[in-house]
Amino acid sequence: MFFDFHIGNHPELAVDAGKMGYSGVVLTACSRDCIDHPETLKNLRESADNLKTEGKTLKGETKLPTIHIGVEIEAKNQVDLKKKVQKFRKKADVIMVHGGDLQINRAAAEDPRVDILSHPYRTRLDSGINHVLAVKAAENRVAMELNLKYFLFTRPNQRYRVLNQFRQIMKLHRQYHVPVIITSDARSPYDLRHPLDVVALAACFGMTKEEAGDALSKTPQEIMERNEIRDEVIIPGVKLVK
Amino acid sequence: MKLKILPTHLRDKKRYLAFQAISEIPLQREDVISLIMESSGNLYGACGTSQLGLWVVKVWDYTTPGANTVKGIIRCKREEVDKARAVIPTITKYKGKRVVFQTLGISGTIKAATTNFIKLKAADE
Repeated sequence: MFFDFHIGNHPELAVDAGKMGYSGVVLTACSRDCIDHPETLKNLRESADNLKTEGKTLKGETKLPTIHIGVEIEAKNQVDLKKKVQKFRKKADVIMVHGGDLQINRAAAEDPRVDILSHPYRTRLDSGINHVLAVKAAENRVAMELNLKYFLFTRPNQRYRVLNQFRQIMKLHRQYHVPVIITSDARSPYDLRHPLDVVALAACFGMTKEEAGDALSKTPQEIMERNEIRDEVIIPGVKLVK
Repeated sequence: MKLKILPTHLRDKKRYLAFQAISEIPLQREDVISLIMESSGNLYGACGTSQLGLWVVKVWDYTTPGANTVKGIIRCKREEVDKARAVIPTITKYKGKRVVFQTLGISGTIKAATTNFIKLKAADE
């Protein structure tokens, strides 16, 4: 069971990912598009449903992955982030935050409604999270994303830096048990990678096979489980039973 | 004078990686070799690459109208299979055009790799 939780909003990519061996994907729309064109999320959901019905009629040899809809939130500052999270939490299955700025990273790590903090190391020299943020993120179960596209499309002479950032995140993961997730951030079929190739590549940033397997399958499953019961949870530890 | 080949217990144990490549421009055997060696050099450097024992055994052209697909087999040392496999997803661009490599499977013999993973058309055999 492998999952890819960051794929561009093209439903055809989900079919390709299914062929590759993924059993679940999240199609991610940018928050900017969702605000400019309010129908984006609705259209995405409709086309995903269409794919499902088509898949059923095909009785396909290739299994269609389960498709969820996510939003990647780009925020200017903490207040803006809180507002947007509030706005999209009910509409989307997975909430992702476009990290990179220290204050955004901090606000995202402190918010239990956020599922994934996407590339906190973006355009930075260090990893973007420290022990303080790691503790917060582990408490609130905000997963740190290791973005393969960011690694592969960095110039070869700069790649050592990205590997170093990934290593730092893994170090914090071992110490404080921050959830870590590996995603492809694919915008076209040329960005998709075979999951077992990804596991082999993860050895380059010091992950063991078990850790890489967890990052590709266990963490995503946890996120989905938590989101299914999210509406019924009143405060952490208390669930509404009907 | 030709060198005598090594006795079996001194030879390196090998594994064969079957792969397929999809690209925007057609790929030849030489292109595949240079792509793999270059990206391995970028990932592990000269020292690391030399330990993998990489060798492109054979490349088949599977191009259909609309998609340039190439399948092939890479040889590597048995102990370094995982490291050699990690090279394959790092290939992204060739001459400024996009290209993607995917592993189809790993096998101990060329024959098993071709029959199980490449699945040659009858005409090519």
